Amino acid sequence: MGIKMLKTKLGKIELDTPIIMASGTFGYGIERIDFIDYKKIGAIVTKTITFYPCEGNPQPRIYETYSGMINRIGLQNPGVFCFVKNILPLIRKKYKKIFVSITEKTEKELLKLIKIISKEKIDAIELNLSCPNFERNKRMISQDPDLTYRVIKIVKNETDIPIIAKISPNVTDIKEIAIASEKGGADILSLINTVKGLRIDFKKMKVIDGGLSGPCIKPIGLKCVYDVYKVINIPIIGIGGIVNGLDALEYIMVGASAVGIGSGFFNNPHIIEDVYFSLKKYLKENKYKDIEQIRGLLNEKN
Amino acid sequence: MEIKICRIKKNEVVGNLHYLMEFENNFKESFSPGNFVYIKIENNFLRRPFSVSGFSKNSLKIIYKIVGEGTEKLSKKEKGECVDVLGPCGNSFPLFENKKIAIIGGGTGIAPLIFLCERLKKYKNEIDFFFGAKNKELLFLSILPPNINYIFTTEDGSFGKRGNIFDVFYKFKDIYEVIYASGPEELLKKISKLSDKIPIYLSLENYMGCGMGLCYGCVVKVKVNNGWIYKRVCKEGPVFSGKEIIWE
Repeated sequence: MGIKMLKTKLGKIELDTPIIMASGTFGYGIERIDFIDYKKIGAIVTKTITFYPCEGNPQPRIYETYSGMINRIGLQNPGVFCFVKNILPLIRKKYKKIFVSITEKTEKELLKLIKIISKEKIDAIELNLSCPNFERNKRMISQDPDLTYRVIKIVKNETDIPIIAKISPNVTDIKEIAIASEKGGADILSLINTVKGLRIDFKKMKVIDGGLSGPCIKPIGLKCVYDVYKVINIPIIGIGGIVNGLDALEYIMVGASAVGIGSGFFNNPHIIEDVYFSLKKYLKENKYKDIEQIRGLLNEKN
Repeated sequence: MEIKICRIKKNEVVGNLHYLMEFENNFKESFSPGNFVYIKIENNFLRRPFSVSGFSKNSLKIIYKIVGEGTEKLSKKEKGECVDVLGPCGNSFPLFENKKIAIIGGGTGIAPLIFLCERLKKYKNEIDFFFGAKNKELLFLSILPPNINYIFTTEDGSFGKRGNIFDVFYKFKDIYEVIYASGPEELLKKISKLSDKIPIYLSLENYMGCGMGLCYGCVVKVKVNNGWIYKRVCKEGPVFSGKEIIWE
């Protein structure tokens, strides 16, 4: 038993554990961090890659808030060519399952990006659909169901690698976007990306307008997963404010197949082990055979 | 990098709003001058970075100023209580032997320089330590390493020369082979202008997210070939060469 209890299926992808390192807060997972037990990580989602290198936003990029933080990193990354040549081989040495997060601002560049990344041996592509200004659209892709559908379809037609759609909670009805994602061909959904937020730095007299993460957004993430689970038939990666095992359990009980650890890792660098052991302990104490038995336990499909 | 729960040996006021904390060194890894520790503060989401100001087999020291609620909570911790410490983080100062060295510190920026000075002394360097603060109290005279040639300035003239530490240092700048500095950005900016002639190493600060090189929150602009890139203060830094920093 032991390790088998936490075996997780995301469609055709099989993970040893439901613990996924979410995009952006774990870099490319290649920094040397001795206190992590990498075997307990089900999959890593890389920091988002674009076709061309992207320098990211000027300072300030990060600010603490009550029970969380705001970031505006701005997708700093070395571009897909450098990623594939220099970074991906290092990721492969450390992780069994690799999900590469991507985004672009135009259809042309998105297609070029997909062509290159599809040739690589990776387990999934996570489409970061929170990118604003796609083809000069003012909204984020995942704020528009038609655009969400279209972008996923474009990508799906170009690759056989499973597609994860990561969508924003900053919408009137997230179910609508989730349904559009599924129709477009998404194999998995990642819920949620950061929530829009703002803070003022009085020392620098600057506004920090970015994405809010941390425990303060957990109820929002849970509600999104709860609502979306009812109306779609693809697996969900629940993300948002997880800092311990109970948080992860909540996401799984409302229907998440796996959980994404984001900025919670900054707060609690032992979070991977915490989630791993808490889930196992809960299953054992309540006499469940495996994690499948508690998935969506407190939710129902429509 | 390790995470350790460390018992506090000392957490004392060393000047108005300034504290020296000493805690048990439970780390297997060794610390070098320039490294920082990333300390968890109860009920704050992000940790707080502190330069290591002293390191021995049994203890680690930090010097900090109360600048917000996080550091205020830290200042309330008492001897015997524990802190959750991530470290050693970041890079360290390059070290030299048999050189004529200037160490320049401003305010709380002195923290990493104390550790650095103690280490450089072992390598037979001739060190002049320039240290400027608001007033005599904030020169932390009781905790500075002994047997060093200090040049002090205070803004109010309560000790050493009245004025700015950079102006005093500037008169002697040509006699040094290596310069190390840490302190307010204005001071570091001025010092880095001398980089054409002398190797200069600066310890920078920034808001941080992860402290482990993962989030790219703490980056600074750094010159490369014909352009620039963002480097992480927590990973490629906090020590940078004066030549490479692009000040904004």
